[in-house]
Amino acid sequence: MAKTMPLVGNEFVAGFRLQTEWAGLIAAAFFFGKIGAGLFLMSLYTGSKVGALTGLLIVLIGKGGAHLLYLGRPERFWRGLTRPRTSWVARGFWAMMIMAVAGVIYLAAPAGTAVWWVFQVIAGLSAFFVAVYDGFLMNSSPAIPLWNTALMPVLCLFYSLLGGTSLSLFLLHVGAVGLAIGPDFLANLELTLILTNLIVVIIYLLSMTSATAAARESLRLLLRGPYALAFYSLVIGIGLVFTFLLSYLAGVESGAGVVSLITAADLVGHFFIFFLLLRVGVYSPVLGKLSI
Amino acid sequence: MHLGMVIDLKRCVGCQACTIACKSENGTPPEVLFTKVVEQVAGEYPIIKKKFIPVLCNHCQDAPCEKACPTGATSRREDGIVMVDHDKCIGCRACYVACPYKNRIFIKKGALKTGYFGRKLTPFEQVKYPKWQEGVVSKCTFCVERVDQGLEPSCVQTCPADARIFGDLSDPESKVSRLIRQRGGYQPLSENNTEPSVYYLE
Ligand code: SF4
Ligand code: SF4
Repeated sequence: MAKTMPLVGNEFVAGFRLQTEWAGLIAAAFFFGKIGAGLFLMSLYTGSKVGALTGLLIVLIGKGGAHLLYLGRPERFWRGLTRPRTSWVARGFWAMMIMAVAGVIYLAAPAGTAVWWVFQVIAGLSAFFVAVYDGFLMNSSPAIPLWNTALMPVLCLFYSLLGGTSLSLFLLHVGAVGLAIGPDFLANLELTLILTNLIVVIIYLLSMTSATAAARESLRLLLRGPYALAFYSLVIGIGLVFTFLLSYLAGVESGAGVVSLITAADLVGHFFIFFLLLRVGVYSPVLGKLSI
Repeated sequence: MHLGMVIDLKRCVGCQACTIACKSENGTPPEVLFTKVVEQVAGEYPIIKKKFIPVLCNHCQDAPCEKACPTGATSRREDGIVMVDHDKCIGCRACYVACPYKNRIFIKKGALKTGYFGRKLTPFEQVKYPKWQEGVVSKCTFCVERVDQGLEPSCVQTCPADARIFGDLSDPESKVSRLIRQRGGYQPLSENNTEPSVYYLE
């Protein structure tokens, strides 16, 4: 019987090959982009200017900083704006810029004025784009079949909303913000989003079981290979199950300590899911033949 | 004109002469290989079959690396050669994750300072390295400076087994077009619709 292609580290042997360039800093940029944009969006909804400002700063300093640190030639970063017609990197870059400018004007404008409304809408739309574009960026790559799925932007959106909700609850409980809506609503939203994220992650993984051989190889690395422990413990265990149980059993009314723990656990899961999805990205064998 | 290459897997003996010819033509820094020959071993001892597969940038006509590039550093010439303008590249490596063939190479920081032998660049490296930049992505150009003078890429000229054939794919009477027609040449990972300009013959 023909053997299937191995996963090779040696570049002179045919087989599945891991992508090795997008790792920690790109995962950090994705993470900060999503939680910052999520917090910004939630803050528009809850009417918290401090939350919106915090979200904006997380995007600009966290995401922008991680991207700059990652670039091979950061001094030329502005060139990354030139091709939004075809490139998702350029589109994301534009969205961040627009979010920054519109967000600052929105925060500075007197509430209720026409300028405030207009820039609130522009900042909100660009924040939404920042939250989901990583998913489109990954989805647009035919090279790595694990990422090449329409579920990727959906995953990004729900993780972003969950991160934004957790951070809003955290800011509320440490007394940094006052909200125009009740904390109970946020707490219920948090529970709903954790469950939704769990379901989306399961659907995504199930969809990959019938995808191409390279996607299944990625899945093997993630669920049964060297990354399985990190996936089950950090992403599923801490990031989703622990946060759900703590939110459900102890509840956010247990105080700032519990809310901080829930937020920290959620953020750990959030960072690691995208970090691990980047790490297990696998290319198909060079001629596309799957057996030898 | 649409320049392309046909690689005859029946002829390749895995000598890596093309790999070395590319290194010496381009003077690429350590860990940067624009072409190489990967091997595939099938069967079990003592009945073993070994196949050698030369790989290089396929100069795709619908290149995902070009679409992914946010700066326009990656572009396609009229003759189909996909180029990277190092002065425009920001090193974001979007092209690296977009290329289904993993044919993009990031030139790491420091790669041009130490060269192959650690302490100091050799005279050869001193001549060749000024054309490279650290922190950017690079790849095979079909030896564009040779092609522009009417010469063949260095790997094609060097191959002792005549396993690499270079020519105009848009001319139905060219050797490459005839070989593809007669021997059923196929493009690598054609399901990705990247329209590679490199074909393989089994
Ligand atoms: S082989 Fe890769 S690097 Fe070369 S043109 Fe095609 S997608 Fe781009
Ligand atoms: S690394 Fe350079 S060539 Fe590649 S996508 Fe980024 S800017 Fe373009």
